[in-house]
Amino acid sequence: MQLEKFTYDNKIVRNFAIATLVWGIIGMLVGLLVAMQLFKPSMNLGNQYTTFGRIRPLHTNAVIFAFVGNAIFMGVYYSLQRLLKARMFSKWLSNIHFWGWQLIIVSAVITLPLGITSSHEYAELEWPIDIAITLIWVVFGINMFGTIFKRRERHLYVAIWFYIATFVTIAVLHIVNSFQLPVSFLKSYYVFAGVQDALVQWWYGHNAVAFFLTTPYLGMMYYFLPKMANRPVYSYKLSILHFWSLIFIYIWAGPHHLLYTSLPGWAQSLGVAFSIMLIAPSWGGMINGLLTLRGAWDKVRDDVTLKFMVVALTAYGMATFEGPMLSLKQINGIAHFTDWIVAHVHVGALGWNGFLTFGILYWLIPRIYKTELYSKKMASFHFWIGTLGILFYAVPMYWAGFTQGLLWKEFTAEGLLKYPNFLTTTLQIIPMHVLRAIGGAFYLLGAIVMAYNLGKTMLKGKLVADEAAEAMPLETVMLETDPADKRWHRILERKPMKFMVLSMIVILIGGMVEMMPTFTIESNIPTIASVKPYTPLELQGRDLYIREGCVNCHSQTVRPFRSETERYGEYSKAGEFVYDHPFLWGSKRTGPDLHRLGGKYSNAWHYNHMLDPTSMSPGSIMPAYPWLITQKLDTSTTAIKIRAMQTLGVPYRENFDAVANTKLKEQAESIAADLKQNNIEVKSDREIVALIAYLQRLGTDIKANKTTIPSNQ
Amino acid sequence: MFKQIKDLAGGELYLIASLLIFMVFFIMVGIYLIKMSKIHIDEMSKLPIDEPQISNYEEA
Repeated sequence: MQLEKFTYDNKIVRNFAIATLVWGIIGMLVGLLVAMQLFKPSMNLGNQYTTFGRIRPLHTNAVIFAFVGNAIFMGVYYSLQRLLKARMFSKWLSNIHFWGWQLIIVSAVITLPLGITSSHEYAELEWPIDIAITLIWVVFGINMFGTIFKRRERHLYVAIWFYIATFVTIAVLHIVNSFQLPVSFLKSYYVFAGVQDALVQWWYGHNAVAFFLTTPYLGMMYYFLPKMANRPVYSYKLSILHFWSLIFIYIWAGPHHLLYTSLPGWAQSLGVAFSIMLIAPSWGGMINGLLTLRGAWDKVRDDVTLKFMVVALTAYGMATFEGPMLSLKQINGIAHFTDWIVAHVHVGALGWNGFLTFGILYWLIPRIYKTELYSKKMASFHFWIGTLGILFYAVPMYWAGFTQGLLWKEFTAEGLLKYPNFLTTTLQIIPMHVLRAIGGAFYLLGAIVMAYNLGKTMLKGKLVADEAAEAMPLETVMLETDPADKRWHRILERKPMKFMVLSMIVILIGGMVEMMPTFTIESNIPTIASVKPYTPLELQGRDLYIREGCVNCHSQTVRPFRSETERYGEYSKAGEFVYDHPFLWGSKRTGPDLHRLGGKYSNAWHYNHMLDPTSMSPGSIMPAYPWLITQKLDTSTTAIKIRAMQTLGVPYRENFDAVANTKLKEQAESIAADLKQNNIEVKSDREIVALIAYLQRLGTDIKANKTTIPSNQ
Repeated sequence: MFKQIKDLAGGELYLIASLLIFMVFFIMVGIYLIKMSKIHIDEMSKLPIDEPQISNYEEA
């Protein structure tokens, strides 16, 4: 028996750590900017590239995929090597992974402000970037499995299970939610439409939270927390139980994002039932983490890394208790579309992901630099300012959420809406938004102090790029098998590919049960005869709506509540969305719902409102869109867009693409003529005309046909 | 909540089936856990702590 000598690659860990710090600060800075835009519209900076609608996706993408993404790779590359007693499979692949991922982030930073977006939340990047993400993810997978195959440790520790589940599920989610038909280099339409598109998107959206923000972090928790506390995890059995239940249940819960929409009721109920069940495995993880510290709480007092871990686990516990509660229909009816949801995700993001990342960074950087942390005082300051930041962020947002949710639903004794003007409810919560921005600024300040502190630590020490280690080769280890090793669960721990396939089957069950009936059984989406495809001008207008990111503040789905039908009009039906590639239901109402906007106001109203929202709605916090009036509509894409829609099954008549632009011009001229009657001179070929055409079309299909579906407007 | 689940107009099958699938799955994981040996569990849970590094970082 000969001990093998080898080294761990710390350089790649260091690179991901630096990327985590840099993108973290950038992502949070953009977050602060969008937070300020919500109480001071001048913070939109008066140009199209920095308006809320375009910058908000930049914030979410930067913090999820850049900050958290790099932190995941940092944690995985560090722990994987040590748990497997092997160096990363290929330095070359590690570097492609690192630089490829940074390049993807840079492409997001460029395309999102340009309005190049697919509009699916947390999946906004257009198809060429989607392909790049797939390739880089595969590189990560090969590198991870390559390392697993050349390991010197027989069994795979539970952290690695979480990493494998993350890899396989994110791959499935990303591919299915990227079924797009490209119409040009940077524009595509989703293959699914309306309700089906919504189901796919929220199956993706919810499980991006599960398998990007949760499972890799649980894996990291299971490695780093025992290391920090220098004691094994509280219960290894519990970790196995909660691993399998978590990945099995999570995948079903997506429809809770679509409660009270036109998604079939049975799918909504499934989503609710599994969301409630989800509390058990989530709390299993939290309890297992916190109890790992049993008998070591004295260490928490002195050790700042453990402090970060304790707050992270507590935040995880709170967010995963709140999630199931929010998916109860009664609570969801009030909370959905309000700041309550924003508070909920930020308890998870700032508390769980942020603090766990900070804890790991403070622990890991001094170790790979073989030195001590530059300043413990600064780290302690970061802990307190960060915790305060979370509180200042979350408490006002909860307050704002409850307030607005209740104001929307309040009726007078006479049975009329007490706040019929949506804007009144928005203005009510402005002070809360100011406080939230202060909380965010505190949190960002903490992160900047950390970056300085860790930068100084790096300068103080010297990177141990190749850390020496030694272990028995696996063949020798395998010789000493005991008879129990033949049992199937042990085998599973030793067979990574079988393990991956099994976890993939487990995660596919839920998605398939929900999606297949919705896609194949016609009665789930009843068609409505009066619903017709968009005119070419409306289609172009719709793409402008997507480009400007209107969906970030305006929903397009009226829920069947009296408070909503009274405010907006007839509730939304599944059949109304059959030509919507993609669906644009939205998830937040910073402004009112727009599904029944068509015909509500004159063309002139819309023109003035887009030019200066406060002229039509005094006090409005919506940014102005003056460029829509000066920019010429690109009609060169009309024909190809019509053909793409035909490919996707939208029933335009044959050869319609050849006359599409003629039709487009006719409609544009009639709108321009109508505006002229109201003393507004605008050329018919401007973008604003297309957007007005789309806004005036919204929700009118079933309004026009009063005999089949009664309208209460 | 239960009222909503009771009235699904034919969709109950999905709920019942998924609950059954989950129960079976959960019981399988349960059996798997009960049958795991104590020694093995101990060995597994100590994995992150016993490091094969030659020169460990010394806590100050």
